[in-house]
Amino acid sequence: MKILAVEDDASTLALLVSSLAEAGHAVERATDGPAGLRLALDGAYDVAVIDRMLPGLDGLELVRRLRASGVQTPVLFLTTMSGISDRVDGLEAGGDDYLVKPFAFAELLARVHALARRPPLGRVETVLRAAGIELDLVARRVRRAEDIVDLQPREFSLLEFLMRNAGQLVTRRQLLENVWGFHFDPRTNIVETHMSRLRSKLNKNAEPDPIETVRGAGYILHVDAS
Amino acid sequence: MWTPRELLRSAGLRFALLYTVAFMISVGVIGWMTVLTVAGALERQAQRGVENEASALVDEFNAGGRQDLEAALAGRFANPSTHTRYAVVEADGRVVLGDRTLLQSGQDPGAAHGTLRGNMPRIASRELGDGSRVMVADDLAEVREIEAVVTRAFQVALAVAGILGLGTGLLISGALLRRLDTVTRTAEAVVGGDLTQRIARTGSEDEFDRLAATLNRMLDRIDGLMANLRQVSTDIAHDLRTPLSRLRQSLEATRRRATTIEDYQDAVDRAVEETDRILEIFSALLRIAQIEAASLRSGFRRVNLSEILQTVAEAYAAPAADGGRSLTAHILEDVWIDADRDLLAQLFVNLVENALQHTPQGSTISLELKDSGDRAVAVIRDDGPGIPPEERENVLRRFYRLERSRTTPGNGLGLSLVAAIADLHGGRVTLSNGQPGLQVRVAFPQGHEPARR
Repeated sequence: MKILAVEDDASTLALLVSSLAEAGHAVERATDGPAGLRLALDGAYDVAVIDRMLPGLDGLELVRRLRASGVQTPVLFLTTMSGISDRVDGLEAGGDDYLVKPFAFAELLARVHALARRPPLGRVETVLRAAGIELDLVARRVRRAEDIVDLQPREFSLLEFLMRNAGQLVTRRQLLENVWGFHFDPRTNIVETHMSRLRSKLNKNAEPDPIETVRGAGYILHVDAS
Repeated sequence: MWTPRELLRSAGLRFALLYTVAFMISVGVIGWMTVLTVAGALERQAQRGVENEASALVDEFNAGGRQDLEAALAGRFANPSTHTRYAVVEADGRVVLGDRTLLQSGQDPGAAHGTLRGNMPRIASRELGDGSRVMVADDLAEVREIEAVVTRAFQVALAVAGILGLGTGLLISGALLRRLDTVTRTAEAVVGGDLTQRIARTGSEDEFDRLAATLNRMLDRIDGLMANLRQVSTDIAHDLRTPLSRLRQSLEATRRRATTIEDYQDAVDRAVEETDRILEIFSALLRIAQIEAASLRSGFRRVNLSEILQTVAEAYAAPAADGGRSLTAHILEDVWIDADRDLLAQLFVNLVENALQHTPQGSTISLELKDSGDRAVAVIRDDGPGIPPEERENVLRRFYRLERSRTTPGNGLGLSLVAAIADLHGGRVTLSNGQPGLQVRVAFPQGHEPARR
């Protein structure tokens, strides 16, 4: 993937670039707002990772201008703030996701991947298929092999998110945000609890588990469960 | 007390001086106009006097001829106090009786009367039947004298007004400075670091007293905020030292004992976990501080409180069951308030987690949302050990933990975050006896604009 990183802090930027490159991505960088906007306007990026506070041109304003020019590159905001309306401000300016520093690198990578995999606007999927599982978004029904798997609404959403990002690492925080709408870290292992229920329902016939737990990071639903 | 320079620079004195000058100018104008009017009236009166006298003498002549006229004039001359002068002039211009100078000063002897400027006399002149004339004149010395008296009186008034104005100005500015001085002294003491100082009130409820009351309230607020800040700094210093020293010890131990790559990897993983916990405390503190300091509610939207509570109840039913507790919910549908959705979700998550954490296995936790007129009321009740009445207020404070909870995980910030969020929404958190257990009641105003502190 081709990724644009706009960040004014040199050490954060270096870490960002080297880690993304290590994960196999081509990264271009900018250290201030105007330079970032110039690069981003090319529109040739799969994802842009943009710091909220930039010299020359604020990150919010950068994305606002980008969107005004019709560039739809998915944007992940980085910020040190977590003020009460920061997230909403970021999304309203045209950002697609939001990550508060300090963050684990796996978290950043998972979000970049999730953004890159977003279906283009206008294409609506009704059935998701992966790992021999079929998830019907209209009938709200899940089948594994030929069996119907009976899921609670949140378990369904959990599986849906995993399937939309099949083959990629999905973090606990991504799941909290997308399945429950919790943009904070609860103490209780809500995700783990629901994940274990989902697994026991999916694997009730002792099939191989399609969901892999990555310790300290999150989960991967393998496309081909075997 | 104050140097003359201070007094001169005083706004009170400047106003008093301005007022005095304006007052003196008006006294001067009134005086000048009075003198003019009085002098005019007196001059007209003098003129009428000589005209009347001349007419009276003509009457005498008409009644008894020259003889009666002369007798009358002799009577007039006998009165020494009079300023009036008389002359009888023959047709050829000879003065036969009285004051010769009259003829000289009366430029036109033939005129019926004459008016001369200054102290020159008022003159009336009348033809008598035999071709001679009688002249009566009165000088204006009396008029000028009265004029001078009035003028002097006004000069004195002007001087008195000036002195009084200046004196009053000094008094007023002195009094103003004295009143403001107590404010200044208190403010200086506060600047110097003594936040306990308050401005002395006179109880008169005048503008200075009201100002003092307002400033005192401001000082109370600053004092409260400072105390809060001091408390937080102490708390942070204390509560962050524990995990930090734990981290240091573990790193030290690794340095001494670790031999394999795996040992080091484990140690690094543990250190990362510990660091995450420390960061979590920091972000919780930061979040509380941000919420407490938030003054605008631009992020507020109309949100469905029922839906938020349902999500929380649903999210925690499974974890509660896994932990051997049951979570029940009775949630009134479609209750909407103005709020920040994320913050409200966090508030209820904290309360439910608090209940799950501090109750034994087998406990029941109930979540309820009801409508009590102008308020939306959420009640979270458990049948656990509860909180002693004297501790109920304390648990809303930062880092405060009950003695028996010291060993359970947690940073003592959950409930203070709840209190801060409720406060931001104009809501109120009440802890009470759930009979048994703890009951937490959170009431939110349902109006379109929640009141702010």
